[in-house]
Amino acid sequence: MDAGDLELRNLTYAKVVELGRVPAAAEVAAAAGREHVDVIAGWRRLHHQHALVLNAATDEIRMANPFSGVPTAYRVHAAGRWWYANCAWDAFGICAALHVDGQIETSCPDSGEPLSIAVRGQRPDDEHLLFHCLVPAARWWDDIVFT
Amino acid sequence: MNLFRSEEHIARWLGAREPGATIPVLKLSRLAHAWWDDRLSPKWRPHTREQNQAVLDQLELTGGFWRLP
Repeated sequence: MDAGDLELRNLTYAKVVELGRVPAAAEVAAAAGREHVDVIAGWRRLHHQHALVLNAATDEIRMANPFSGVPTAYRVHAAGRWWYANCAWDAFGICAALHVDGQIETSCPDSGEPLSIAVRGQRPDDEHLLFHCLVPAARWWDDIVFT
Repeated sequence: MNLFRSEEHIARWLGAREPGATIPVLKLSRLAHAWWDDRLSPKWRPHTREQNQAVLDQLELTGGFWRLP
């Protein structure tokens, strides 16, 4: 990753925190003083390096892991805002990335039972829950949205 | 990558699919904090495969399922 792409990546993530959502390419272009097409080109390179995930149809951000660019079943209240996480791992990851406690709201994919987990000092308040990862690590990036 | 109330819920959700790996939520939280801690740091640099594998190994997430490509 060259210095220009690293700068673009860090600015993109800074905008996530500032806005409370993933930014549009136009917002990052304005903040960076770059052309819109240059931001898209940089994001495509970052996508290929797994530094973020683009929506192939729109070239906008689908995932700035652990943050999601679209609504998901994993909502996290942290640092005074609600965020969407890509999965259970990323839900805890939002607390980790922001270095704060938080509240994760989701539901059991089998029963639909609501699950509400407080994260305090990096520990979940309900330690009986289980995390299931369906896809082996070697194949996570074959289809990261499915993973 | 989902959270479940119990093993029974996981088995029912899987149906005929091959199971993946199940870990306690406390270990997931430790994994997430080790994995994502630096994500917003201005000093962030891309993690190497070896760095990421070390995170998994330190949490005893070993074996073929947890082996990165």
